[in-house]
Amino acid sequence: MPEKKPSPPVEREKRTRQRKSGGISSSSKTVRQATDGKSFAKRRRPSMRAGLAVMGGRAAGAISRRLHLGGGTSIAGVVAQRLYPDIVNHLSSQLAYGSVLVTGTNGKTTTSGFIAAILSDAGLRVWRNREGSNLMRGIAGALVIRARAGGNLRRSGQAISIFEVDEAVVPHIIKAVPLRVAVFTNLFRDQLDRYGEVDSVSARWQQAVNALPKNTTLVLNADDPAVASLGETYQGNVVYFGIDDASLDLVTQGISPERHQTIDTRTCAKCGNELTYTLRFYSHLGHYHCPHCGSTRPQAEVRATSITLNAFDQLRITIATPTQQGEIVIPLPGFYNIYNALAAIAATQALQINWEPIVSGIQQFKPAFGRGERVQVAGRTIRILMAKNPTGFNEVLRTLFSDGEKRRVLLILNDNIADGRDVSWIWDVDFERMAQQTASLTATGTRALDLGLRLKYAGIEPQAMSIIPLAPLRADNSKDAPAARMLEYKAGDAMSNGRLNGTQAAKPGVKVAQKHGLANALDHALQETPVGETLFVIPTYTGLLDIHRELERRGLTPHYWEEKGP
Amino acid sequence: MNDTSKPLFTLTLGHLYPAQLNLYGDRGNILTLQRRCQMRGIALRVVGLGIGDALAPDEYDLLFIGGGQDKEQAPVAQDIFEMKGIGLWAAVEDDMPVLAVCGGYQLLAHYYRPAIGPDMRGLGIFDAWTIHKGTHMPRCIGDIAISWNGSTLVGFENHGGRTYLGTAKPLGKVLKGHGNNAEDHSEGAIYRNAYGTYLHGSLLPKNPHFADHLLALALRRSYELSDEDLTKIFPRYLSFQERPAQAKREKKRAARKNGASSEINGVIPVRSDLDDTLEWEAHAYMLERLGLRHAAGAALRQR
Repeated sequence: MPEKKPSPPVEREKRTRQRKSGGISSSSKTVRQATDGKSFAKRRRPSMRAGLAVMGGRAAGAISRRLHLGGGTSIAGVVAQRLYPDIVNHLSSQLAYGSVLVTGTNGKTTTSGFIAAILSDAGLRVWRNREGSNLMRGIAGALVIRARAGGNLRRSGQAISIFEVDEAVVPHIIKAVPLRVAVFTNLFRDQLDRYGEVDSVSARWQQAVNALPKNTTLVLNADDPAVASLGETYQGNVVYFGIDDASLDLVTQGISPERHQTIDTRTCAKCGNELTYTLRFYSHLGHYHCPHCGSTRPQAEVRATSITLNAFDQLRITIATPTQQGEIVIPLPGFYNIYNALAAIAATQALQINWEPIVSGIQQFKPAFGRGERVQVAGRTIRILMAKNPTGFNEVLRTLFSDGEKRRVLLILNDNIADGRDVSWIWDVDFERMAQQTASLTATGTRALDLGLRLKYAGIEPQAMSIIPLAPLRADNSKDAPAARMLEYKAGDAMSNGRLNGTQAAKPGVKVAQKHGLANALDHALQETPVGETLFVIPTYTGLLDIHRELERRGLTPHYWEEKGP
Repeated sequence: MNDTSKPLFTLTLGHLYPAQLNLYGDRGNILTLQRRCQMRGIALRVVGLGIGDALAPDEYDLLFIGGGQDKEQAPVAQDIFEMKGIGLWAAVEDDMPVLAVCGGYQLLAHYYRPAIGPDMRGLGIFDAWTIHKGTHMPRCIGDIAISWNGSTLVGFENHGGRTYLGTAKPLGKVLKGHGNNAEDHSEGAIYRNAYGTYLHGSLLPKNPHFADHLLALALRRSYELSDEDLTKIFPRYLSFQERPAQAKREKKRAARKNGASSEINGVIPVRSDLDDTLEWEAHAYMLERLGLRHAAGAALRQR
């Protein structure tokens, strides 16, 4: 939904000039000045409407929470926007320390998590849209729940807000929210049925960036040609981040880049010819140049110069920035988190944050919801690593299956609207990597059968996996239904009631009636995981919500909207 | 799998523009053909044909072309016309099985008219053309099921252009979904053994009968197998046959190369009994969620 009235550029300039350029010590409040009668009238009406919108939104949120429909943040945003379409602009321009936008296909949540941790370690009050969705209504909701009935923010807006934004919504946010920093992490194919093709997203981003006021700092991934090209024509400050460690190159590591990767940007943004890579880290991220028009990867200012893997979820990276050099340990699994950390470092340095909070913010980071978080269940550990598109999935598989250790895995493939209705993309994921590498493998979700089929064609033997669909096929009358054939454990044991007693209750060879549903799939996967071992859960986006709800139902994790901020 | 014995049949699949036209998981089609051949002891070699490579029809037994982004499709359109056009035409006229999905399908028709900009010329193998009616027209997106030779095909479609058929025969009738143009219930196009379709999903994994149909056509053409032999490899082969033209051609070929097929007769290796349970269940699941319960039941009986 497009915002109807972006604030006039003159106003915006005034506001931002009052901040000391980029300094965090400045706390001057926005001063609204009416230039003529007409705009004065326009200004006065909103605050009444804004108050109404805030009250309406919060009431709707409270009702939704009361009825257990969810966190109630999105609905608060929807109602508030309905009552006053400019509510996001109205509230966000009151923020004393401004706003940071984080967008991109992968890494949004972790990057904004890093930034939030760093900023709160630096002593700032940080507001995020973590409770709600990353669409416009989620942003609106996050502001509304922090506003007073009078249409002003609480605590006189003495906070900095970090907005994690869906890649398709970026143009609307840029119009509505005065931004200090805009971070673009990367651009991969994702939900082609919803976003359209990669090129159309990058065209929309380019337009959005052109509309940015010049005092916004752009933080861009130098290694992603589709993202780096956004900075070429931008008049304001641009900070690039990237990796300068040649030992991470796929070819150096003996991985054929074409076989194991889906490459989403092949051509030069300027002239449309094929790019040449000297280093390729994954997908189309690397050191590239265009042999035709000569455009090259921009030199990164915030760089990772060397990277060592301490443990499966401990990456030690050496960082070099124009002002600082040092080591940081990223406590998360996955190579892609290097980019997330670099993006956060670049963004917070643009906000003039010191080095100490940067180090502590990243090193003591607790992984968010589905990004490597850890849950203890009856002596077993569950680690949840969301994967929602081919590149993200490939990187998760690379993280889990590169050291030759056999893993226990539960895959959840959903095709709800938020996941994208099309599951064709699973055929671009390199599941072949998992063959003979799993100690146990369970597939579930609304498209469990498609996933099972993909795994079958990846060379995984039928007896090495269990397929547990969410519901039986109605047309299937035979007793010998799929789940029954593949599931060999006793029905109705303690597991299915959510109470694990730690002992192996499985009686192999006992064929049972069909098992369906996520709860059974989780039980099955846990049952195949011995005490002390780790079960890796790889869900799509709504699969993550489902598994969280299930864990929540068993009292293992708090409601996601009740989680305390960092 | 009888890996130890030398494969009796070797097929070569030409994969056109694997780097440029690979947007919607169409790699699954290649994986499916590969694996189904492997399970039957048929050797399938996949050769990628990129921009600048010529297409020599003699070197291939079947061809596949997928879909891509508009930006990547433009150089491909030029290359397919200049470098591969004649080879492709010759191959199609010689009954080589060709599967063209989405963008590839559009490129094999007469032209693609984008919302803005000049027409993109196609090869005209299918007497059909595609028009993008502008961004105000919603894309055809969603699950789709079509009827095909007394059976069903299921997949996912995602295309902005609307394709209209001239004399080309449609691949099937739309049961649920949009199809070629969301107007006339047609989906895809057939010319000789060339098949154009909008079905992703990927198409072949969930439609094992169609995958086998393509392989059977390739074996029939390259090894001059009779229907009887083919039925030994693909037990359901005949149930998806409908064209008398094929039979006529078969006779012609048999007359030309007399007795060639009877030599092979009897030594067919075959693992004809592939376990396609999961394939048909995934197929039936799609039909069921589209509300086609009858067809779903029929699909489950196939397994």
